[in-house]
Amino acid sequence: MMRALAIGGFLTALALFAAVEWAARRPGSRIPSLADVCAYVMRYEVGPVPVGRIGLFGFWWWLGWHFLAR
Amino acid sequence: MEHPSELSVAETRAWERPVVTVPVLVCLSLVGGQLPSFSASANLYTLGTGGALIWLGLGNRVPRRPAPRRLGAGAVWWVLPVAVFGVFEGVTFVLAVGDEFPTFSRLADPLLEDELVRSAAWFAWLAAFWGLVRR
Repeated sequence: MMRALAIGGFLTALALFAAVEWAARRPGSRIPSLADVCAYVMRYEVGPVPVGRIGLFGFWWWLGWHFLAR
Repeated sequence: MEHPSELSVAETRAWERPVVTVPVLVCLSLVGGQLPSFSASANLYTLGTGGALIWLGLGNRVPRRPAPRRLGAGAVWWVLPVAVFGVFEGVTFVLAVGDEFPTFSRLADPLLEDELVRSAAWFAWLAAFWGLVRR
């Protein structure tokens, strides 16, 4: 029962990701795509340091290592 | 550090086109899909490919697409899937009761044991990483 709840919850989250991305790609949509959100986050800088870029690259690197190397 | 929008270059070099990058990513993914979990080779390969992409992404070696200067109010919709995923990942992680109420990682692990699925996951990870580098 709890296992089904967890699977259902994660599938719901993935479906919501797909649904929001689909809505964002519709002509005239006011929702930015996930790529645009990432690009906006990556613009964040503290002085000369591209903190947003480093943070997102680091997160994605860790995610790949977490799922594909261990 | 120059602003990303100032780094944007309209022209695309031959090796940056999908006809070149997709086969390269497919080859890298097929190699990655052969490497078993917890092996030193899988760790080194992940660190190597990710490190190379970060090196490309933090330098001015690859032209970037223009980034939006601001996000509209519609961006708040992205909070919904992130929140649902975060709540389930957080609760399953904190309770730590294993397969009875598994985390996303624990659910994904058996799927990723298959070499084809593992290669597909490698491709998705590398393709998204390349997309981030170009942003």
